[in-house]
Amino acid sequence: MTKKLFLILMVLLMGLSACAPAAAPAPAPEEEAAPVEKPAPAEEAAPAEEEALVEETMDPVTFQVFYPVAVDAPIAEILNGYVEDFQAEYPYITVEPVFSGGYGDVQTAIQTTIDGGGEPPALAVMLATALYDLTNADYIAPLDGYVDAMENGDAYIADFLPVFLDNSYAYDQLWSIPFQRSATVMYYNMDMFAEAGLEAPTNWENWAAAAQTLTTTDGDVTNWGLQYPSGWPYWLFQPLAIGAGQNILTDDCSVVFNNPAVIDAIQFYIDLSAEYGAMPAGVQGVWGTAPTDFSSGSTAMIIHSSGSLKGIVEQAGFEVGLMGIPGKEDGAISAVPGGGNFYIMSGAPQEQQDAAWLFVEFITSPEYVADYSINTGYIASSFSSYDTEAMLAHTAEVPQALSARDALNFGGAELATQNLGAVRGISHDYLQRAYNGEMTADEAMTAAQAEADAALVDFCE
Amino acid sequence: MATEISKPKKNLLPYILILPTAIFVALFTAWPVLLSTYQSFFRQRMNIARFREPIFVGIQNYIDLFNDQYFLLVIKNTLSYILGTVPISIILALFFALMVNRKVRNVGLLRLAFFHPMVLPMVSAATIWLFFFTPNYGLFNSSLRFLGYSGAENWTGNPNLALLSVIIVAIWKNSGYYMIFYLAGIQNLPSDVYEAAALDGANSWQTLWKITFPLLRRTTVFITIIAFIDSFRTIDHVFVLTSGGPSRASSLLLFELWLQRFENQDIGISAAITVIFVIILLFFTITNFLTSERKEA
Repeated sequence: MTKKLFLILMVLLMGLSACAPAAAPAPAPEEEAAPVEKPAPAEEAAPAEEEALVEETMDPVTFQVFYPVAVDAPIAEILNGYVEDFQAEYPYITVEPVFSGGYGDVQTAIQTTIDGGGEPPALAVMLATALYDLTNADYIAPLDGYVDAMENGDAYIADFLPVFLDNSYAYDQLWSIPFQRSATVMYYNMDMFAEAGLEAPTNWENWAAAAQTLTTTDGDVTNWGLQYPSGWPYWLFQPLAIGAGQNILTDDCSVVFNNPAVIDAIQFYIDLSAEYGAMPAGVQGVWGTAPTDFSSGSTAMIIHSSGSLKGIVEQAGFEVGLMGIPGKEDGAISAVPGGGNFYIMSGAPQEQQDAAWLFVEFITSPEYVADYSINTGYIASSFSSYDTEAMLAHTAEVPQALSARDALNFGGAELATQNLGAVRGISHDYLQRAYNGEMTADEAMTAAQAEADAALVDFCE
Repeated sequence: MATEISKPKKNLLPYILILPTAIFVALFTAWPVLLSTYQSFFRQRMNIARFREPIFVGIQNYIDLFNDQYFLLVIKNTLSYILGTVPISIILALFFALMVNRKVRNVGLLRLAFFHPMVLPMVSAATIWLFFFTPNYGLFNSSLRFLGYSGAENWTGNPNLALLSVIIVAIWKNSGYYMIFYLAGIQNLPSDVYEAAALDGANSWQTLWKITFPLLRRTTVFITIIAFIDSFRTIDHVFVLTSGGPSRASSLLLFELWLQRFENQDIGISAAITVIFVIILLFFTITNFLTSERKEA
């Protein structure tokens, strides 16, 4: 009997071990994690340290930067090159880049480290939209002090495309520096358009008509006029809503779902398949396949990230057009920014944070911003980078890179709210219910509004 | 007890032997479970400044969970997923094992074919399947069309098919793995009973039904347990195929736990889900074990 009992125990423990990784939210000794009061680095610390700084700077500093790899480009290789250049200029600083997955993985790793009482990396690139979650949890440090301490701090900030700074400010402080940025754009096959005698679309009506014209069948297979991914829908949906006259958020505490313009935008998405037959019906999990379908010529238009530009241009055997997403009426073309920013972790030792800022400054200089954009396809985030020789040469060859930037002139803010995970989840659930015909657009948005408002109460009262 | 005291040296060894495991289990299993149980009675959300410090709320987290339509949906999805994957994977595994256990030519190739999905990481497998599931020209849809299927093709985007597509990938991935256990089990069966059966004139169906199946019962119990646990803890393919969508139609318990903990930074709720998770696993493991042991005795 004891043997049996022992066996039972062992099996139980096996079962438990199986779920242990999930069941192990690390012990969070709050006292250890908490004392990192939001430091105002330069302003308070600098005067006292000014003298010491000269000697201290020579003390070797090593810090880690967590870097997400979210596109099909040799990100690690490129970044390691920048790190070498940086270390050549600042021999006393060692940068250890850590490439451990995508945006979600980086943020999860940092949260787990900090909640568990560990020391986070000094620097990380995380989604621009993670702003409120990161500030509320006290994970990140404000950067105003560093910018103020710069000789030309105001000019440095003013050099970034304003739309990329939309998600950098909260509670009257600056929290992140744009770097790895993209936008929702539409790619269209200019050859197909020319053959069919079509112009680039300017509004919903001629857009849908063009998509309908360019939809052809070939045996069992349909070559769609348009592919519009919606497996993770909020980001790509936002330009439609903006194009109808209403973005889905007004600030971090209020979302706008139950609005005639937003409902109109959903209805248009549904009509593209239901009425025009220009797109497959229902939720489209085609994020991964759409760029290939487009560059192989089997789809005339796709809505995707500007980050796919490099791959598409390299593979496409035709003239690639790139533009913002057409709006309901002429002139309402729009795009929504996406991607990640540099954040400095407040839990890292001060000297590491300071060194991390030097790296941020270094890597956001025009040459590196241009180089990163050229080699990855991300949109260069500063105005000055477009004047560099390398960028001028690049845009002469790939003018679409400029179209991607220009699409953002009519951009709206990406959905970045308090309680982002929940609010974004609600928007996904109900957009997809409407797309799949489980609810009407009106019903779905009424329900979404109620749930989102409830999800924001604890954060915004 | 008395024997232990009178012969301490003899009885110490087993305890020393299990000590490393015991420490490991205590540290990485027992402690987190206790901690989660404790945390599940508190409200704590890292992304709301005033709830960063835990506040005692009793069983409110559990009440909230069971009043949450989404959580109930996730439980329902998880049960469907288990019912959909475990029995079919096991039946297929047994079928495969019987097939590759015969002495035919190229049996190695067949074994490789059945086993190779196991070697792939789940994320790669799911990525490959995502392409198979592509509407229009995806391999899975083309094959189905060839067989005369004319229904919906949008596997990962259709609310009625999303969970099924996740189940299909899991079955494809796991059957070959469970086959290995069955194969080992079959090859370890005593040959004398088969000889006796042959002498008695039993046909192959009778041999299979009256001898092989009953003798494989312990293997089946073992496989059922790991299949069940697998179905709870593997969610990589959910991330890749559907992100739990559309509208959470394919969200599973562990996926929900991840969402609550890392997307919503809700420690109290995620701790409560963990506890529910552990209870379900415990309940299953104990029942399964007790029933199989009782029959043995």
